[in-house]
Amino acid sequence: MKLELGFIEIKDIQFSKESKLENGILFVNADEAKNFVFEDDDVKACVKDAHFDIAKPGESVRITPVKDVIEPRVKVEGPGGEFPGVIAKVDTVGSGKTHVLRGMAVVTAGKIVGFQEGVIDMSGPGADYTAFSKLLNLVLVCEPVEGVHQHEYEHAVRIAGLRAATYIGELGRNVAPDATKEFETLGIKEGIQKWPDLPRVAYVHMLQSQGLLHDTYVYGVDAKKSLTTIINPTETMDGAIISGNCVSACDKNTTYHHQNNPVVADLFEQHGKTLNYVCNIITNENVYLADKMRSSDWTAKLCRLLDLDGVIVSQEGFGNPDTDLIMNTKKIELEGVKTTIITDEYAGQDGKSQSLADADPLADAVVTGGNANQVIILPKMDKVIGTLEDIDRIAGSHAGSLRPDGTIEAEIQVITGATNEMGFGYLSAR
Amino acid sequence: MSYRVVHYINQFFANIGGEEMAHVAPELREGVVGPGLAFNQAWKGEAEIVKTIICGDSYYAEHEKEAKAQILEWVKAEKPDMFIAGPAFNAGRYGYACANIALAVQEELGIPVLTGMYVENPGADLKDKVLIYETANSAAGMRKAAPGMAKLALKLMKGEEIGASCEEGYMPNGIRKNFFEKERGSKRAVDMLLKKLRGEHFVTEYPMPSFDRVAPNPAIKDLSKATIALCTSGGIVPKGNPDHIESSSASHYGEYSLDGFDKLSSADHETAHGGYDPVYANEDPNRVLPVDVMREFEREGKIGKLHNLYYATVGNGTAVASAKAFAAEYAQKLKKAGVDAVIMTST
Amino acid sequence: MRGGHDYLLITNNPLVVRCMGDCYPIEFVEGGYRDVLVKARDMVYIGHTLYTHPLAGSVKPNETVYRSIAVSKNPHAFSQEQAEMMSNSIMVYDKFLPKKRMLTDELLKDFQLVDYTLIAGAMEFDAAAGLAK
Repeated sequence: MKLELGFIEIKDIQFSKESKLENGILFVNADEAKNFVFEDDDVKACVKDAHFDIAKPGESVRITPVKDVIEPRVKVEGPGGEFPGVIAKVDTVGSGKTHVLRGMAVVTAGKIVGFQEGVIDMSGPGADYTAFSKLLNLVLVCEPVEGVHQHEYEHAVRIAGLRAATYIGELGRNVAPDATKEFETLGIKEGIQKWPDLPRVAYVHMLQSQGLLHDTYVYGVDAKKSLTTIINPTETMDGAIISGNCVSACDKNTTYHHQNNPVVADLFEQHGKTLNYVCNIITNENVYLADKMRSSDWTAKLCRLLDLDGVIVSQEGFGNPDTDLIMNTKKIELEGVKTTIITDEYAGQDGKSQSLADADPLADAVVTGGNANQVIILPKMDKVIGTLEDIDRIAGSHAGSLRPDGTIEAEIQVITGATNEMGFGYLSAR
Repeated sequence: MSYRVVHYINQFFANIGGEEMAHVAPELREGVVGPGLAFNQAWKGEAEIVKTIICGDSYYAEHEKEAKAQILEWVKAEKPDMFIAGPAFNAGRYGYACANIALAVQEELGIPVLTGMYVENPGADLKDKVLIYETANSAAGMRKAAPGMAKLALKLMKGEEIGASCEEGYMPNGIRKNFFEKERGSKRAVDMLLKKLRGEHFVTEYPMPSFDRVAPNPAIKDLSKATIALCTSGGIVPKGNPDHIESSSASHYGEYSLDGFDKLSSADHETAHGGYDPVYANEDPNRVLPVDVMREFEREGKIGKLHNLYYATVGNGTAVASAKAFAAEYAQKLKKAGVDAVIMTST
Repeated sequence: MRGGHDYLLITNNPLVVRCMGDCYPIEFVEGGYRDVLVKARDMVYIGHTLYTHPLAGSVKPNETVYRSIAVSKNPHAFSQEQAEMMSNSIMVYDKFLPKKRMLTDELLKDFQLVDYTLIAGAMEFDAAAGLAK
């Protein structure tokens, strides 16, 4: 399957009377964008109000609580559309051409539950810990209709973000991209014939699937209700996997992470050179122990069936997913397929505790996104998009986290993407 | 004003002599001797070695208590900003002395310490307790080690925060530190996987914890019918230590009968352990091996009976692998004897 | 809904009792998150089967106060793996420092809801229908 991505570099975002994309400048008519978002019945029923704001790199701005981050894209050639099964129809995506609005993101913000987290600082020390501080962010701040159930509201805000990204992406449909890049994986037989001597490598992509605020959707299907399966890496570039996870900011995979999966990108870099990138295997992180056994058995089985030599395994979350990570790794290694895993750590504020909830000597090649318990002081920002009302309640902070002078003392786990377990960031630990 | 450092080296690096001179007692000299010069040069006046302590490796090993007391006294009197020992490279007894004396200075005097050695040096067992800079396995590595050690030492003297082990060059000490890598995580994962696939050497960023944790067996349903055995790493042996169990780094364990003992006493038992003050254990060996209480339970019917044999070794510096081998062996004996549970005491 | 098993829910979450109490036997624990872990551990030690992961959810042990775990009503065979999972989870719990927190009623309700939806999801129990009761 072959997909061409056309990158349109976004240099600035401005509110304007007319929504358009010209010379790298994105002009947004906020009312029109909002109307598009509210055309959905669920959004209409659950979201009382929403407004857009803009945050730029280097500004004294804090966005919190962040729900999701999404990159606007639009399908310009080939079957299907962005976010299949959720926004576009369920047709298979991942081939043809897609335009990408690079250098920007749509960020959804606003309270869903009282302990929600997610901080993006656009400048200062906190900005170093999140890649999203380097993007031009169009922020959609939502407010719930009174009395709406949290699970309905989470769904509505998820859809609102995807719709906003769809609206913005559409503006890039007829814009000539600044650069293009092709991505292609081959069928099993083709691949072996073309690169008989290269090791066959796949990516085992674990999806958060524990329940409310902990879900991931594949073509609209709740990942916890699916067996381990195979997906083309290019499908993920068209938004086949979206995030419904908004509890653990530092190690959640936002929709932006799924669209720009760094493991996919770095395996493609080596594809046809040092390895043959076969496919992605997606598996879940369920709470029910028999599900874990079944899913990890299935992962190992597929690795063997595909005659793989090696896999990279990434996880999402802490505690329960550590068990899936170790089960997958152990079983895949026992099939004779070599593994490297990506995780993060909860080693305590002093760094002295056991980092993972589970462990096995077969997991001998580990990349870490760092210790999420590290304490950081975030300075006061001139402007807050969203609300600071809940900052004392979010994971990694405590009563008194928000000091009278406006600075925040918290663990880096409050920062969106700080210890990302796909290896999106540069943070590590030893 | 420059920071003041006391340096510890052995007889070899002080140019006194090799193995034949390893018996020399501690000696205090003014200023810098031997390898300390490289540190002074690296510090460019910001810090300086004011005193050098020299001690023979055999002397330290055989008279650890006295040597330690003497050295601590000298260091205390000097009130330095920093204590550096070695580096010891691959010299085993020297490495042990360096790590050991550095730990003592750190704990007793609260002065920042640093030592250095090769990763396989037995002294590196203390890497979780005292900061150990990783060096090559021979003194030829001094040129490379000196600037790194000097830099790290200076940070410690200034009270600056220490970075991750791979940045600073010290051996991972169980304290996880964050830092920013040059490549993102996914790229590092791909590189690591390629190395693993090619059978090349790769270094994991998170070594899995050692797996000596044991899941508990199911609880005993009826203690009143159970046979319970006592085992100890506290060194309780029949008086005179008939099997000559070593006071440290034990090479074997002993199997002894409890037949006819209602409790232990100083007349018939003692400890062979050299790692703790033996006075209280010798005075009343039941404090380590609670035969008295077990007999009481036996009489009261709380337990079925106390097994008539007990197994003892000394846990002082005994290698984990040896300890495991001892237990694997006597566990079979216990099983064969129909023992239901074991109480293992340590010190 | 998962049925036909000898399920037992160990919980300290009143919302789980309210929504799921009609369908599953409940062992209600008067106490905190850790007390639920300890109760589950003790049951696993005597042979009850553990059905759900003791550390479900990304809400950290020092954030939420609620925990629900499904085990078998009757003891079966002792499982070393499950015993290890339980003791590991207590060690993980203990490494999170207790926090000074202001737990408002609204916040407690949110924590109850998330814990409830996690256990409901694991048991394939219709969470929305349970809430409607």
